[in-house]
Amino acid sequence: MLLVCLMSSELAFSQQSALDLDGKPANPFDEASNKIVVLIFLRRDCPVSSRYAPVIQKISAQHERDASFWLVFPDKAETPQTIHTYLQQYAYRVPALRDPEHALVKLAQVQITPEVAVFNRNHQLLYDGRIDNWFLDLGRSRPAPTTHELADAIQAALAGKTPAANQVRGVGCYISDLE
Amino acid sequence: MNRWPRTLAWSLALITATGAVGALFAKPPALSISPTLADPPVTFNRDIAPIIFNSCSTCHHPGEAGPFPLLTYSDVKKHARQIADVTQARTMPPWLPDPQPLKFVDELRLTNAQIDLIKRWLAQGALEGDPADSPPQPKFAEGWRLGTPDLILTAQKALILPPEGTDTYWNFIFRLPIEQTRWMKAIEIHPGDKRYVHHANILVDRSGSTRQREAEPGAGFGGMEIRIESEVFDPDSHLLFWKPGTVPYLEPDGMALRLEKGTDLILNTHMQPSGKPEIIQPSIGLYFTPQPATKLPMLLQLENDVKLDIPPGVRNFLVTDQFTLPVDVDLLAIYPHAHYLGKDIQASATLPDGTKKTLIHIPLWNLSWQAVYRYAEPVFLPKGTTVALRYVYDNSSDNPLNPNHPPVRVKAGNRSSDEMCHLWLQVLPIHVDAAGRDPRMLLQEALARHNIEKDPADFEAHYNLAAMLQAANKLDDAVREYESALRLRRHDAAANNAMGAALLASGQPGKAVAYLSEALKTRPDYLPAHYNLGNAFAAQDDFAGAAEQFRLALELQPDDADAEANLGSALAEMGRFSEAKTHFEHALQLNPNHALAKENLEELQRATNK
Repeated sequence: MLLVCLMSSELAFSQQSALDLDGKPANPFDEASNKIVVLIFLRRDCPVSSRYAPVIQKISAQHERDASFWLVFPDKAETPQTIHTYLQQYAYRVPALRDPEHALVKLAQVQITPEVAVFNRNHQLLYDGRIDNWFLDLGRSRPAPTTHELADAIQAALAGKTPAANQVRGVGCYISDLE
Repeated sequence: MNRWPRTLAWSLALITATGAVGALFAKPPALSISPTLADPPVTFNRDIAPIIFNSCSTCHHPGEAGPFPLLTYSDVKKHARQIADVTQARTMPPWLPDPQPLKFVDELRLTNAQIDLIKRWLAQGALEGDPADSPPQPKFAEGWRLGTPDLILTAQKALILPPEGTDTYWNFIFRLPIEQTRWMKAIEIHPGDKRYVHHANILVDRSGSTRQREAEPGAGFGGMEIRIESEVFDPDSHLLFWKPGTVPYLEPDGMALRLEKGTDLILNTHMQPSGKPEIIQPSIGLYFTPQPATKLPMLLQLENDVKLDIPPGVRNFLVTDQFTLPVDVDLLAIYPHAHYLGKDIQASATLPDGTKKTLIHIPLWNLSWQAVYRYAEPVFLPKGTTVALRYVYDNSSDNPLNPNHPPVRVKAGNRSSDEMCHLWLQVLPIHVDAAGRDPRMLLQEALARHNIEKDPADFEAHYNLAAMLQAANKLDDAVREYESALRLRRHDAAANNAMGAALLASGQPGKAVAYLSEALKTRPDYLPAHYNLGNAFAAQDDFAGAAEQFRLALELQPDDADAEANLGSALAEMGRFSEAKTHFEHALQLNPNHALAKENLEELQRATNK
């Protein structure tokens, strides 16, 4: 049993790469030499992911010169078309990737949507986890967040420092629940 | 010639809200969960599907409030760990009350055994199992659950819910296009997009008072808490409430809600932004019955807003209120309400024999999941029972829902950042007292006295007490209470008008004129005050003055048979018989059984035939 699992994992390995919405393999780090990279993991069927859209837009607009932002959809069942529609509905101006084999999920060490990963200019992982502490759990949210982990991590990365927190788990939907 | 003051006028400011909760489900089978080696693995089809189908799918299917469907193995598998987490934390299914001996309709609470089973299913790999083991997938009716409604109304103007920001509270006004009294046995609320509307209440406005709050007719208006004024003793009695999962239901026989020409239904909604703009355009479906109401329930409100003055940083701020029932009642439903500082919410009843019953206990209040809870069986509370609320508030920074960061002093108010301490009990008085007085009036009088005790500056309590005294024909006492009310709000139109009516009824039309004129100074378009002032003038033989007031009343409401008849009477007194005749005849066109118009017309004919 175990052996079979390993085998299939090995087989999948060669295909492990994120894909752009044209279906081509994409590496968010290629085009971002000397830029901070921020990966934002979303599930369309996760209402918490969606409620963050305006927050994500604002932060990415604020740092569009210094950092390269990517939305990452780890659900294998998503098609480029469903993602296109979603980006239009939420008026996203951030490019999106599919990550059906969870290559970026593993790299970023994220577990939940929405969670983010912030990489410094050398593309080392500085922070992974929640955007802020807006949501307490799936039934309760603060009127406004009182901590801002993503913004803090970007500031630290820009300053060449390590953020105060390097990992704070988010509230939302588990990526591991996806096949 | 008969002259009479029109209906008493009083305002009972009760906020209506009500409830239908989720569907009635068969109890899932009791599960034995002593894990032994021989235990077969937990599978979706055999063990988990029955739980999901009974307790989750009602909301988690397309078109309903749940953000994703939970109808198949693959649906559930995609959220398996999440489901294990939220059931363990009892975040889902949303059900706030602790278990208690008094059961509610449609309880959504999972058993510990069910929660444990989901956890084990996940730990064992979230297996699908044999499809033959699965119960049939639930089927949900689309559209109107109770069949085609007799009347469907859609909000005139949709609300565009902004993509972000704090929660939105919006009121949609539905003007009922009915020409005569109808009895409503059920209402189905389609609140717009169910994914973003968190709850909705319907308030009945028989006075048209909320229309004034719309910038233009049909536009709706913002606001979390609204108050409805009523001009006749017609206590709000039904909790018309929607929350995710609500299944519309038929009122018990004889408990239909009266709707009249001119009645507005106000849908008070609480919405959360979704991340993108959403179009919210609710509809309501009304189901009528020819059977008028024979059982008249009433909403009793316990509250203690005056005690809500919570210093910043206080973790356990206790507010209580208790009220002793002056009549036997059946308790049908309960609706607790606090805002974001509310933490532990309890209500109890202590019977005359000392027995104490928990009516509801919500150990961790969450405004977002507020609901009306209907009891599975009516709860008999004999006269002399003390019902009590006990709410604990947390205004510290430890309360993550605290709207103020850092905390500030919070008092009672209608904004979501203010607090509230309210508990509504829907009760059905069981016996009518020997004197034949409406038991709701006894309740209302006792409540008003109780509220004055708590807060002598409670305008509404003085006003309502006065109205009850007036109804019991204790006119001197009523006048004294109206005086107390007017000391608190000197220019209040309703109180001045009611005072005028009481003075008129006690044979003091001269005094009445001053109050009625004051009412009209505040509200020139206040029809009952014109009417009463007309009567006050007539009582002093100032028929020209009376006629003018009845004409003004008719300008406001041209089809008012009473005003027509009275105008006719005033003109007849002035000897203007032919004009008088026209108005009596018009009154009889409007209401062929109008006794005064009939009697006076006959008298007029006799007088002119002489």
